Amino acid sequence: MLACLAAATPAWAHSGGAGSGLVAGLAHPLFGPDHVAAMVAVGLWGAFLGAPAIFILPVVFPLVMAAGGVLGILGVPLPGVEIGIAISAAILGMMVVLAAQPPLWLVAIMVGAFAVFHGHAHGVELPSGADAAAYSAGFVIATGLLHLAGIAFGLLARWLAGRFAVRAAGGAIAIAGLMFLGQLA
Amino acid sequence: MVRPLVIIICMIVVLALPGTASAHSGYAGATGFTGGLLHPLFVPAHILAVAALGLLIGQQAPRWGCAVPVVYVIAIIAGLGAIALAVVAMLAENTLLGLAAVTGLLVALARPLRRSIGWLLGGAVGLSLGLDSPPDAIPLTQAYVTMLGTALGAAIILLALVQVASRLRRDWQRIGMRIFGSWLAASAILMLALRLTR
Repeated sequence: MLACLAAATPAWAHSGGAGSGLVAGLAHPLFGPDHVAAMVAVGLWGAFLGAPAIFILPVVFPLVMAAGGVLGILGVPLPGVEIGIAISAAILGMMVVLAAQPPLWLVAIMVGAFAVFHGHAHGVELPSGADAAAYSAGFVIATGLLHLAGIAFGLLARWLAGRFAVRAAGGAIAIAGLMFLGQLA
Repeated sequence: MVRPLVIIICMIVVLALPGTASAHSGYAGATGFTGGLLHPLFVPAHILAVAALGLLIGQQAPRWGCAVPVVYVIAIIAGLGAIALAVVAMLAENTLLGLAAVTGLLVALARPLRRSIGWLLGGAVGLSLGLDSPPDAIPLTQAYVTMLGTALGAAIILLALVQVASRLRRDWQRIGMRIFGSWLAASAILMLALRLTR
């Protein structure tokens, strides 16, 4: 399978080249620290909240992110996208630190609102001439895998020491979010 | 338990192998029956729609029975037959992406659905897939062989996915299927937006 992945070739019909295809799509969210922090925080918070949030959040996020992505692709302006992304990391990290347990509908709305900013940024940043199909699938999969990574780490919260570690990770994400925000100011 | 994961990983690998999209022939260098057989695997809109439909049928099992795959196969044959009669469907790929989005969303929602919805989706996906699979081959016999391969390939992929999805009974497996459905829907929505705007 690794050999198959390594054998990926440009999709010529879409004038591929650098920055296109599934691998580029997979890499795109991974190389944005603000995206990574927020995605992992979604998984951590979901794991902290337990069922059904643990699976509702990873279902809601990609769907709403796609809606945000469509807005970006269509060129619909969304003010404060970068600020929204930085705030999402700060707030989601803070929720984990505080072990906040608001009602599920409120959690879904919060996460969904942040997903619009992340999706819009992805949609706007899509390289022109990219193999759109594979690229889109790539960043959806990468986003989902980051959620799953957060959930996997968040499951440590079942143990007392693990709970401390998860909240500490939330704290680190919140601080990182504030730093991203500071860089934008 | 391992097989569903293997199938999902294989699908990701297939998406990682974009080939030349020359009127989206199945696989570079492969023509005739083999090219047709692989065609649904190597066209992203096709694999997304078939994957979403396969997961949905498996998720709704045993309520939906085996009628939906039968409707799907008949619809593929109808679509390919229409191509043989020189019908040209310009929007078949966009329709497939729209159907993949709707079907993926239904997988993510995981609600019990009427069998008639299955018939409708199976028929629509099969027909669109058939209409969106015109063979590159010029000789008539080779074109028919390619279309036969396409029908067989699309049927095998769906049946394999239905078999896997219908065996996912544990909670975490059902949750994984819903999450994967949301990924399929999100990917389809983005691809459709890109196709319509660029």
